[in-house]
Amino acid sequence: MVDALQEAHRILVERGVFVDARPDSRVSARVRAKSARGAVIGTIGTQRLTKMDDTLSDRAVRHVLRRKLFRSRRQGRLWHAIPFEDIDELNDYLTDHLRFSRRVQWRAPSGRRTPPLFVERAVRFELLEKRSNDGLTSA
Amino acid sequence: MSATASSGRTFPGGLGYLRPPAEIELGAYGLDLRGRRVADIGAGEGRLALGAARDAASVLAVDPDRGALARGRAEARRLGISNVKFSEGAAQSLRLPDASFDVVIFSWTL
Repeated sequence: MVDALQEAHRILVERGVFVDARPDSRVSARVRAKSARGAVIGTIGTQRLTKMDDTLSDRAVRHVLRRKLFRSRRQGRLWHAIPFEDIDELNDYLTDHLRFSRRVQWRAPSGRRTPPLFVERAVRFELLEKRSNDGLTSA
Repeated sequence: MSATASSGRTFPGGLGYLRPPAEIELGAYGLDLRGRRVADIGAGEGRLALGAARDAASVLAVDPDRGALARGRAEARRLGISNVKFSEGAAQSLRLPDASFDVVIFSWTL
């Protein structure tokens, strides 16, 4: 991961911008009923191995910041909703998913799980600005 | 559509995407891509690269998956986008010159 970040640094011009955007595994995905703005009726966690990968990615970003290859310019988060016709379609989706836990943790009784369902997930991003090449040689 | 940025602003867009549409994700970044040389590393089929091409001077989409790159090229042709190139490669060892891009994007790549 650090190798990839160093490559990004290398191909950027001075003060060029690097964007790192990834699903935010620190936040559970939310399942909403009826509409993308509907009531939250459940949550979906992230698989343990994926969380570990995300931690390594975070560590790699912190590493290049410490080495002063980049400076952090802005951070943010966006939410993205994926629609499902019903619970069966959602369960099928989760069965093969590499990031999400296999099961929804329901917060509402089955009577309130009115389709369509929407899985709303967080995507976080950070904009880093390239600093001078000095960081590479002085680290 | 249901994507919102951390500012709380809701972005328009369609449903049915497993990842945010390019205009929503790029809009959330708040970057002005006009006239910029952009590299989208781990671009897949070019979801973001094709979106960035609307404003950027040029976009290079890099991915190890040849099939995804072929689909991206076909989509670029279909949309009449001529300032995007698709290239096979891995983020860890980019065969690209030093200091050749203004913006480098790793979206769902690290």
